[in-house]
Amino acid sequence: MRGWRLEKRTAPSLGSRIAQPILAVIAGFVFGAIVLAIGGHNIGDAYKAMWEASFGTGPGFEQTLVRATPLLLCGLAVTAALRMNIWNIGAEGQMAMGSIGATFVAYHTSSLGSFPLLVAIFLGGAVAAGLWALIAAIPRALVGLNEIIVTLFLNYIALLFLSALINGPWKDPAAIGQAYARRLPPQASLPLIGSTQVTIGIFIALAAALAIYWLLDRSRAGFSLQIAGGNVRAAKYLGLGIGRRILFVLFLSGAVAGIAGVIQLTASGGGRLQEGLTGGYGYIGILVAFLARTKVQAVVVVALLYAALLTGGTALQSTGIPSSIAEIIQASIIIFVLIGQALGSYKLVRTAPAKSPPARPAAVGEA
Amino acid sequence: MNFWVDALSTGVVLGTPLAFAGLGELIAERAGVINLGVEGMMLIGAVVGFAVGIHTGSIFWAMVAGGFAGGLLGLLHAAMTIGLKVNQIVMGLTLTILGTGLSSYIGASYGNEPFKEHLSKIDIPLLSKIPWIGEIFFQQDIMVYIAIVTVIAAALIINRTRQGLALRGVGEAPAAADAAGVPVFAVRYVAVWLGGVLAGIGGAYLSVVYTQSWSNELTAGRGWIAIALVIFASWRPLLLLPGALLFGFIEALNFQLQAKGVSIPSQYLSMMPYVFTLVVLALVWTRQRGRSGWGMPEALGNPYEREGRS
Repeated sequence: MRGWRLEKRTAPSLGSRIAQPILAVIAGFVFGAIVLAIGGHNIGDAYKAMWEASFGTGPGFEQTLVRATPLLLCGLAVTAALRMNIWNIGAEGQMAMGSIGATFVAYHTSSLGSFPLLVAIFLGGAVAAGLWALIAAIPRALVGLNEIIVTLFLNYIALLFLSALINGPWKDPAAIGQAYARRLPPQASLPLIGSTQVTIGIFIALAAALAIYWLLDRSRAGFSLQIAGGNVRAAKYLGLGIGRRILFVLFLSGAVAGIAGVIQLTASGGGRLQEGLTGGYGYIGILVAFLARTKVQAVVVVALLYAALLTGGTALQSTGIPSSIAEIIQASIIIFVLIGQALGSYKLVRTAPAKSPPARPAAVGEA
Repeated sequence: MNFWVDALSTGVVLGTPLAFAGLGELIAERAGVINLGVEGMMLIGAVVGFAVGIHTGSIFWAMVAGGFAGGLLGLLHAAMTIGLKVNQIVMGLTLTILGTGLSSYIGASYGNEPFKEHLSKIDIPLLSKIPWIGEIFFQQDIMVYIAIVTVIAAALIINRTRQGLALRGVGEAPAAADAAGVPVFAVRYVAVWLGGVLAGIGGAYLSVVYTQSWSNELTAGRGWIAIALVIFASWRPLLLLPGALLFGFIEALNFQLQAKGVSIPSQYLSMMPYVFTLVVLALVWTRQRGRSGWGMPEALGNPYEREGRS
């Protein structure tokens, strides 16, 4: 009897690596169409609205870029840590701490001019978020305490702290009902690009992508990070300080996520700290980094596509189709990509028939 | 005194969904599989349970349906992470997105419908007469008692039976368990499925019994608190009960203080479950480092791959 057997591939072929995600996206939208049909909604209307709101029109594409900015930064933040096998699940909380640190700096240096003030705000936010991430990094470096758990729960502490601030000491007296913080000084808003709705935040994110690409893929430091994360024994043999590198990479990761928070604060946040500012980008950033297989170039592309899905989803509300369909499509695309990645690392192999001629005689010298 | 008795009694009610979902996550994690999709599974359980409750008028069938729906998402997690060996963190987060989206989609037409059936409180004879204690623990609805009994039964099974040993073995040393004849994959599948069932029941309890209505994202982060609860309990099932009571009490206290108009920022109180969890984790970790059996399962997060066989 001949049968089939799954055998592990050493490296998936280039063709399958390109075809898989495309097939996964198609499968995700087909699944979404089925769910829409079951709910009695018009599939064409839904997908047309999503397309026009994300890529199909100028203003739509601008909104996609606005959402791609924090997403790209969070994806980069997670990617940097993942290269060292450190899971930073805390980008959401680091975004919150970044926006809190930036607000604190803005309130205390409001007499500065626009450019120095923005620089101070970004520095303040990045440092605050980086230090926040160190809360997870230090016990990980010292006693090996699992950073996944710590970064995850630090999210809730940071988000609740943000909420306490805008409901307490930083509350805008004009806020009725939903609380928000006092407005930042007007010169603290990021300039828009031309007549678009997109701020120069997108350039900051792209510059961060370039810098992180250089650090991870072109520098000795980045190479040593991968060794330290991949092979503890080799790293020790080479005299690489692992603890030091954990602190560095999580501080960097936190700071980059923090910058995403500052951009949200100074761009679309209306210039004030408010609830929902982090918008789940920190969690989606984890998915972006993983789907991009921690390749910086791929993170840029995946962040843009995922941002389009998010933007398309918000457009559905006005059509009367539940925008939750966008989440269903997101999740199903990710699941199909994951299935593709898992199956792509295997290949079907015909097993030898049971009564085949005996295996080749052992070569001389083979034990 | 009345204030505290009220807060503790409500705390028991609010701790019940946490105990269900937390027990589910604990079973999955003791088998070596972390599932960050608890929030999504609870939401699906909540909406499906609520819908079935509305159509049948039966709380029993609502709970069964909630458990069934949560179990389906649990099976999806199992198939992806055990079968296909997909990363557990990524799949768990995806499961949360899926559960959030699907539950809002299904629940779109149930938003304005209150559930009229009511789960009456049952007084346990004698025990309910104990001052304070009776009011807090023994004048509750049937699901509260079921939660307590289920957790105690699970603790006995996990710690005292062959099946429990198999579960622990699969989570601590899957290769050794495999060599000893334990069906590693089957045990993990069942554990993760049970995790989904229990999360679904916890969610259905929230929508059908507690709020008696559906709204989007009804669970409001309780799935994450359930994950914290497992760590707070140091992966020991019996410790889930005091943990669930504490976390439920904190939430109840928050409501009560707000209702009284006490101007203490509620956010700091809401933070406490996470702060406590991190403190307990740090203490247990530094004390028990290097010793297995008292903390995080050794193989947590690692897919099992059979070596040397085809």
